[in-house]
Amino acid sequence: MTKEREKLNLIDTDIHERVSYEELLPYLENPWKRYITDCHWIQEKRMPYTQPAVAGVDRADARVPDGRPAGSDLGFMQKQLLDDVGHEFGILTGALDPSPSSMHGWYEMASALARAYNNWQIENWLEKDDRLYGSVHICANDVTEAVKEIERVGPHPKMVQVLLPIDDFMWGDPYYHPIYEAAQRHDLVIGMHHNEPPLYYGKWPRYFIEWHTLLPTSHMMQVTNMVFNGVFEKFPKLKLLMIEGGFTHMPHLMRKMDQQYKDLRHEVPWIKRMPSDIVREHIKFTTQPLEEMSKREFMQLIEQMGSEDLVCFSTDYPHWDYDSPFAALPPNLDEGLRRKIFSENARALYPKLPQSKGGN
Amino acid sequence: MRTVVCNKNDMAPGDMKEATLGRASIVICRTSDGEFYAFANRCIHQGAPLSKGKLCGAPEPTDKVGEYKFCREGEIIRCPWHGREFDAKNEGRTLSNPKFKLKEYKVEIEEDQVVVYK
Repeated sequence: MTKEREKLNLIDTDIHERVSYEELLPYLENPWKRYITDCHWIQEKRMPYTQPAVAGVDRADARVPDGRPAGSDLGFMQKQLLDDVGHEFGILTGALDPSPSSMHGWYEMASALARAYNNWQIENWLEKDDRLYGSVHICANDVTEAVKEIERVGPHPKMVQVLLPIDDFMWGDPYYHPIYEAAQRHDLVIGMHHNEPPLYYGKWPRYFIEWHTLLPTSHMMQVTNMVFNGVFEKFPKLKLLMIEGGFTHMPHLMRKMDQQYKDLRHEVPWIKRMPSDIVREHIKFTTQPLEEMSKREFMQLIEQMGSEDLVCFSTDYPHWDYDSPFAALPPNLDEGLRRKIFSENARALYPKLPQSKGGN
Repeated sequence: MRTVVCNKNDMAPGDMKEATLGRASIVICRTSDGEFYAFANRCIHQGAPLSKGKLCGAPEPTDKVGEYKFCREGEIIRCPWHGREFDAKNEGRTLSNPKFKLKEYKVEIEEDQVVVYK
């Protein structure tokens, strides 16, 4: 088994580290700190449900033995995930609490939280394990402050992407384009991970299972929005990773965008090539949560995307819908494709990752 | 095979006209510069009659997001169904992907008559 695991050489594109507000306090200045200590500020929540798994949003076995929430202890994560699986690298994506870009107001507080979170992440995770790389958290709705934060921590050698949560903001809007200019300039990928997008016409379905089933539609909206708003035409070196939406919806969306472009090109004259070509050049997708399927079904989807280079493995550790690198992919995939999914597609995506195992 | 479509002056720049060439339905376009072009009167997408569409202009490709420069009035055939655009002055190629084009016919002006040849 150990020998088998060594072959994986995994670059895991979605690992959730978690901070408690208490741990964040030393990194916050006043007045922001006292809004938590004295006024009990917490991140806004909009979903009517809990995550109805055994232990809420987390794997029941990922809770830290001393009782702290899953994802909050580097040592335990190293043991349960990085060492056990044999990760080459892992990209941290945060626990989306706090999620400064999800906030619908008080952007000064959101920007302060982003700065504090980045400092906490660098000190407690990125500089303590060579395998871990990080995401720059920003308050995207204060675009000037967001760019300043990218300038401040983006050059850190372990920061590889800028994280944008998917809620109800459409990130392709030209208002946000300075963020992409800054990301491109610092060789940072844009990583989009859903937080709490309302999916039913801006409202909530009655049941969690409906919401969770349709999460990929929120990813489809962002991809469509980014492509047709010309983000990749304006920033030709920019890359986007869509995290935790899976990829099996993309054959449909690529074909649909192409079809629409043939007829409605005149509305978006800044788009000068097939949308599916833009997707193949600029966007990649994480595997998790991967639907169970045969090798044949899996290969049909890859073929319809027209490329083996678009899919990157992700575990989503420590969440309940974690995908095991040893069991999630269909058995007997060709070794070349497996290697691409497990590591090479992610390595090609992130210019700041060491380009060969052991450093470049 | 040839067919006389009309007198040259029967069509103003920007006009389109349906005609037949043998058994084929064709569309004659007089572009804004006064030139004549003829194509199969059938959209390559789903077969819509192009002569029922418009000979109009289109926003030209731009490097600037949000910029619309409407130009080439009287040069672009727009399909009456899905709005697909064909460049009358560039062999009937689609604006979205110049790899695809309409079947084009040769047009001659003979003693002020518009004549289409197959």
